[in-house]
Amino acid sequence: MLDKEYIQSRGFRNVVEDGKVIGFQFAFRSNYYRGVWLSQLRPATVIVDGETFSDEQVTWTIGGKTYSQAELAKYGDVHWALLEPAILTVRKPGGLTQGFHDLEVKYAYSCSYFPPAMDELMVAISSGPLARRLLLV
Amino acid sequence: MSNSNPNIAKPKRGVSLYSYSGEYGVTMTMEDMFADMHDMGAEGLEILANTHIDGYPEPTDAWVDNWFRLLDKYKIRPVEYGHWVDSRQYQGRELTTKESYDKLLRDIKIANRLGFTVMRTKLGVIDDDLTPVTNWREFIAMALPDAEKYNVRMCPEIHSPTVLKSKMVDDYVEFIEKQKTKHFGINIDFGVFQTNPMPMWEGQDLSTMKFSPVEDMVPLLPYTYACHAKFVNMSDDFVETTTPYDRIIELMIKHGWDGYLLSEYEGRNKDVPGYSSGQLRRQHILMKRLLGEE
Repeated sequence: MLDKEYIQSRGFRNVVEDGKVIGFQFAFRSNYYRGVWLSQLRPATVIVDGETFSDEQVTWTIGGKTYSQAELAKYGDVHWALLEPAILTVRKPGGLTQGFHDLEVKYAYSCSYFPPAMDELMVAISSGPLARRLLLV
Repeated sequence: MSNSNPNIAKPKRGVSLYSYSGEYGVTMTMEDMFADMHDMGAEGLEILANTHIDGYPEPTDAWVDNWFRLLDKYKIRPVEYGHWVDSRQYQGRELTTKESYDKLLRDIKIANRLGFTVMRTKLGVIDDDLTPVTNWREFIAMALPDAEKYNVRMCPEIHSPTVLKSKMVDDYVEFIEKQKTKHFGINIDFGVFQTNPMPMWEGQDLSTMKFSPVEDMVPLLPYTYACHAKFVNMSDDFVETTTPYDRIIELMIKHGWDGYLLSEYEGRNKDVPGYSSGQLRRQHILMKRLLGEE
């Protein structure tokens, strides 16, 4: 079972590459009621302790594969399942310190059965309170 | 548990798993939802393909085996397969007719594999009146032979703010008549009959909104293969406070409509464990009484 909060407690950690901490990652579940195709997703913004990360600083890992935010738009046949949290990896040399951190994620998706103008509005609606204080071990 | 007299044609009770969307995966598993529906004597269900099928659009054989195990164990019929033709799936352009058809065909095959005979075919829209994409006739017509082959009926949902007497519904009926098809129809969402404000939208002003008189559904019943029994607020004395369920079900019985009423809870507290189930139970008491069950 998943955490009720959209940002999951499991999966929050620093990311080590070639012996260096290159950033951190966390998992979050969709706040929509259905799975979406990756091409429906709009780029995410991650705010951690007041610092904002976007565009190429953030990648998505879904179904074991990692996508740049620009790439998402191309993958109309890859499905982000509702019960599979996406892993967002954020480039931040040195990563985060041990202890508590305030995380927030903003993202959006297109919704074809709503009026087209809503696609832009969905950014505001879906960005909602996807925020949580997590503990880095 | 079942209708008291199977010889009288009247609606049957079912549940859309959408009702549990605030709990699915967090406080309820798929089997929990089946057990809950069985408990209230529901006989059929709607699933949402993109929500409830693990591995969609390519469920494993193991998932499908478990699906049939659950249907059998809890005596639930697969009634309606909810799916989408996401016309704005790609930013900056609409899906082509061929792309839309390909998506339809894929879902038709999955629906058939899982035992469904009705599909809630959600189309993309182009304006604030929810007018469907301009090429819907083309890709639906392309898929009709497949729908026949796989024994499914594709049904767009007539959903508020659309009303039953509208160009959209007229266009669907005209298409059905012209194609002489039994494989395309409609799903009427009971939200179109709303008469009282929704409690979660304080001060909802219904005078600025359009709704349908209940009797407007009568000429559409021959094209209606399932309904969303939308509800938002069941009182403790088993009244749905926004929608005239008594008149809706009375008219359905009078006209011998015997499809499924698929409960769709869209009210408050969906993420409070047990709340949606409690609302569903109240609504099923209401429907049992109106249907003359037991």
